[in-house]
Amino acid sequence: MHLQFPGPWSPLLGRLTLNAIPYTNPILQGTFVGAAVIALLVVGSVLYFKKVGYFWREWLTSVDHKKIGVMYIVIGLVMLFRGFVDGLMMRTQQVMANGPHASGVLGSMHGFLPPYHFDQVYSAHGTIMILFAATPILTGFQNIVVPLQIGARDMAFPYMNALSLWLTTAGAVLVMISLFVGDFSAAGWVGLIPLTELPYSPGVGVDYWMWAIQISSIGTTLNAINMIVTIVKMRAPGMTWFRLPIFSWTTLSTNIIGLTAFPVLGVALALLGADRYLGTHFFTAGMGGNLMLYTNLFWIWGHPEVYFLILPVFGILSEVVPTFCEKPLFGYVTMVAATFAIAGVSWLVWLHHFFTMGAGPDINGFFSIATMLVGIPTGVKVFNWAFTMYRARITYTVPMMWAMFGLFLLLAGGLTGMMLAIPAVNYTVHDSVFVIAHFHCMVLLVVAAAFAGVTYWFPKLFGFKLSEAWGKVFFWLFSSGTVVVFAAMFALGFQGETRRLDWTYNTAWMPMLLVEEFGMLLYCLSLAAFAIMLVVSIRDRAKNRAGADPWGTSRTLEWLTPSPVPFYNFAMTPQVNTRDELAWRRKHGLENAKPDHYEAIHMPSNSGLPVIIGGLSAVWGFAMIWRIWWLAAISILAIIVCVIIRSFDKNEGYHLQPGEIEAMERDLATGMITSEQPDRSHNNAIHAEAH
Amino acid sequence: MAHQAAPGANTRLFHPGYEGHSQISARTLGFWLYMLSDALLFTALFAAYAVLDTPMNAAGGPIASQIVNPVEGFWQTIIILASVTSYSLATVAMKNGNRSGTMLGIVVALVLGAAFVAFGFNDLASLAAQGNGMDRSGYLSAYFVLILTHALHMIFGALWMLVMLVQIPRYGFNEMVVARLLNLRMFWQFQATVWVCVYIYVYMIGA
Amino acid sequence: MRLKSYLALLPVLALGACSSGDYRLFHPANLIAAQEWHATIVDTVVMLLIILPVLFMIALFAWRYRKGANAAHDPEWSHNTLLELLVWGVPFLVVAALGIYSIKTIYAVEPYNPGLFQKQVAADPQSVVNVDVIATDWQWVFVYPDQKIATIDDLVVPKGSVVKLHLTSTSVSNDIYVPQLLPMIAVMPGMRTIDTFDTPDVGSYTGFGADFSGAGFSWMQFATKIVTPAQFQDWVQKVASSPNELSYAAFQKVAQPQVNMGAKISYFSNPDPQLFHKVIAAAQAGVVYPVSDALTKSIASDEK
Repeated sequence: MHLQFPGPWSPLLGRLTLNAIPYTNPILQGTFVGAAVIALLVVGSVLYFKKVGYFWREWLTSVDHKKIGVMYIVIGLVMLFRGFVDGLMMRTQQVMANGPHASGVLGSMHGFLPPYHFDQVYSAHGTIMILFAATPILTGFQNIVVPLQIGARDMAFPYMNALSLWLTTAGAVLVMISLFVGDFSAAGWVGLIPLTELPYSPGVGVDYWMWAIQISSIGTTLNAINMIVTIVKMRAPGMTWFRLPIFSWTTLSTNIIGLTAFPVLGVALALLGADRYLGTHFFTAGMGGNLMLYTNLFWIWGHPEVYFLILPVFGILSEVVPTFCEKPLFGYVTMVAATFAIAGVSWLVWLHHFFTMGAGPDINGFFSIATMLVGIPTGVKVFNWAFTMYRARITYTVPMMWAMFGLFLLLAGGLTGMMLAIPAVNYTVHDSVFVIAHFHCMVLLVVAAAFAGVTYWFPKLFGFKLSEAWGKVFFWLFSSGTVVVFAAMFALGFQGETRRLDWTYNTAWMPMLLVEEFGMLLYCLSLAAFAIMLVVSIRDRAKNRAGADPWGTSRTLEWLTPSPVPFYNFAMTPQVNTRDELAWRRKHGLENAKPDHYEAIHMPSNSGLPVIIGGLSAVWGFAMIWRIWWLAAISILAIIVCVIIRSFDKNEGYHLQPGEIEAMERDLATGMITSEQPDRSHNNAIHAEAH
Repeated sequence: MAHQAAPGANTRLFHPGYEGHSQISARTLGFWLYMLSDALLFTALFAAYAVLDTPMNAAGGPIASQIVNPVEGFWQTIIILASVTSYSLATVAMKNGNRSGTMLGIVVALVLGAAFVAFGFNDLASLAAQGNGMDRSGYLSAYFVLILTHALHMIFGALWMLVMLVQIPRYGFNEMVVARLLNLRMFWQFQATVWVCVYIYVYMIGA
Repeated sequence: MRLKSYLALLPVLALGACSSGDYRLFHPANLIAAQEWHATIVDTVVMLLIILPVLFMIALFAWRYRKGANAAHDPEWSHNTLLELLVWGVPFLVVAALGIYSIKTIYAVEPYNPGLFQKQVAADPQSVVNVDVIATDWQWVFVYPDQKIATIDDLVVPKGSVVKLHLTSTSVSNDIYVPQLLPMIAVMPGMRTIDTFDTPDVGSYTGFGADFSGAGFSWMQFATKIVTPAQFQDWVQKVASSPNELSYAAFQKVAQPQVNMGAKISYFSNPDPQLFHKVIAAAQAGVVYPVSDALTKSIASDEK
């Protein structure tokens, strides 16, 4: 039984026909050629340098939390680039399509994107930036840093960690495939209801959006479980709760949010899926459906999701600021309390996303107050960072500059957020670009912290620092681009421009639209600076070789390990004596102390199953999108079989012997890079014995 | 943290012989957390059901009191509770190291679980046959999807039991098998708890 | 004007090198918009009272304690009970003040029954003008049940009245908005929402759909005019003389998905008196006006 939808369907290919491939669209032709060239270059060089085995062994099948974290961040940065190009297209379209007399090119009446494309671009921009850029980047940092910060060898469930990564990747892959096969959703990243219902979105776009999010959010939920268990169960001896670094605290709180919020999103999307695939009436306007039910469920996830993103960002700032202030964080306990206060209140504010729904003043009043309450702990955090700078000795390295810019964005976002929290103000700007500018202050705070984190932790993972000079060029271009674009966008909000316009009908907006476009130019330049920074840093890596603590003023345990961190993290588990353990050891001249002997370390074996399950999930999603039922059935069965196979896998890892550790530690001390794992996961494996 | 202790003679910087956490306790906590997320999934479904459980959302179709049968639901409740009891007895046998007793308990739990699911599907099928399928109204959509989601969880649990029926004779009660059996017990009891909520909210209050 | 004196406080203005006339929200045209603009300013001022000193403090510390400045360095200082109480207390006071203010203003501008107009409506119930608004894909249908006329994309109301809009949609959700005049409110199929505004002065404005409703969304403007009561009567006469009647069947044609580029105005006489309720009932009964992919692809493009 399946629902009537317009268009042909065949048992073999479902809804998929040759027409689904937009080979006539010049923009997509160009994109396809570009993507194909990059893919050929990557695959070609891997083949040419005979690195297939290396990639499979060291990356694709890795269960090492650091490598998984790096892959999360790489995926996030690739998607950030894709999302940026979408943003650039939107800004350019709005400038080109201004006023009734704006001309059009490439078959469009105004500008270069007809609504059919523009609406997909803006929907993809939001979906990608929130779920496939910001989320993976922050998850990547948590993966890399948290086990090191708490003195652990790995995550609690290394295999499940790899599975989470590959499920997220499967979602990202589906979003990318939608570029070249079929369409993406044209109903906003929030899935505006009932626009997402079959009569109004008969194509496969909404299905791409829905399944991509659904699959990747299963990965996010599993990752949340993993993070919480890691922090609760795997802290090194002496790492009491009130010695836990703030980034680990924020990771804990953010994953409690993730664990409890993502199932609600899963339900909202599944019920929408039931409407689209089974003909139910959950969110239809008629036949007893309730469309506000979707909006409520979506934002019951959606608002906690905002804090899911922002809390780890506060964590990154709380690591970077004290390091470069050469001082402990001011008000550690209040910082932890504020973190959990924000996490708690995040559940009580969702309705402020639709103050204009027509709810009575009592309901709006409740959510207005609840929303404002978030301002209190957030204010506390700003004060704490400010007082950390009091009597400090501040070094303006690239991470610190990003952190300062982040503070500025937080204040701008906070100012405008408090305005939006007042329904009387909200009524005039609710769907205007003022709101867009407000939440871009917040998400660009995420980006700023992400770049702070990238620069800050890069030497820990790769053993050399990124170029400071080019890092600063990148910083200034990017941050001025941000200020220009979003200051102009606030102004446009006051000029009454609303969201999601393909054609900007009011010519009075032109000056500010041009200013925005100029800001986009700065962003483009910053992209070039970023690329140059990477190239220059890799070229000069021998010169910028980093020791265990390349910044010289770091405070937490991850900087106790050699750079790059060996795959076993700590040669011997450290004993934690105080908060900011490394700063304490440095003060007493103990930062270079080595253990007097080594002991065997138990390591998990690599596994190919997570990447296979991720691939099968992508196939399953694709089959569901195009309604190729046989393929969907086969891939879901294959996934179940893989899970069962895993439960019969008796390989419980292997032991690294003290002699090997000693040799590797010696090599690391002399600057030789030993981040590669010896390939012995199979021949030397321990086998569980049946009792 | 105004005053941090200075290192003394007893200060340790490393912890030799540190065993780390126990795998079992980490897995148990992880599984509890998974169940928390599952509980939220059902909470959201219950919320959707509560919102759509009005005469208006029935859109001219049947309302709760016209389709639910508390007596039949009562027998379903008895079956699922019997299944949980049988599984619990299996874990008692496991503690005594009794493999065949454990497997017998699981088989009984599995059969009763299958009977429960069959009952549920039969109900839904006869409703659909009367023209009151899930596409009839918002209310029926919520009813069907709530029952089906629970049934899917039961099927997943049954599949898990089948796997354990292979693993117990093959590996005996080793650490991983015992951990899986105990997690499965939590899972199975949790599904029964969800059903009791369904029974009270949908069948008893609805009727 | 008092409002004008507030303007200088807005740093946003510094960006607006062009005339502030384009900043429509700075120039509210009626009581309700003025109240909302007033709330914006109050909130901004209160927030700046805390944000500006914090910014100043951060800038001061950032400069004074930079490495190499040889300022005092206290590498251990990280706790001060009084300060920590203060950092919780100050934001709390700000939030408390703004919270009370927020609740007060909600009742004043509550779209269904704004406190601002309750006296006027009680004193002169005749000053209320009811308009039923139906959003379609992608036009606005305005039905005047008391005047027995209807228009497409033309909202004309008499000066000195309180206009009550009853809103619904045939197909998907939208949001109605006239900057300077009418606050936003959601417009949803199968449901009715209400939005209210007053008309102190004559003038012309542009209203539009503010929440994305599909491919024709960018073209969903409508003319909004406040005219003198006499002009309003003339206008009603003119519309009532239209030969086109808006029966439910005629409405169903109007409601077929179509883009009205340039927001061309149409007039109808004798709308079905139950039209608004029939539209809601139809949506509840599952009537939809599907938008095909072919239509979506053809809007403002030569793609077929």
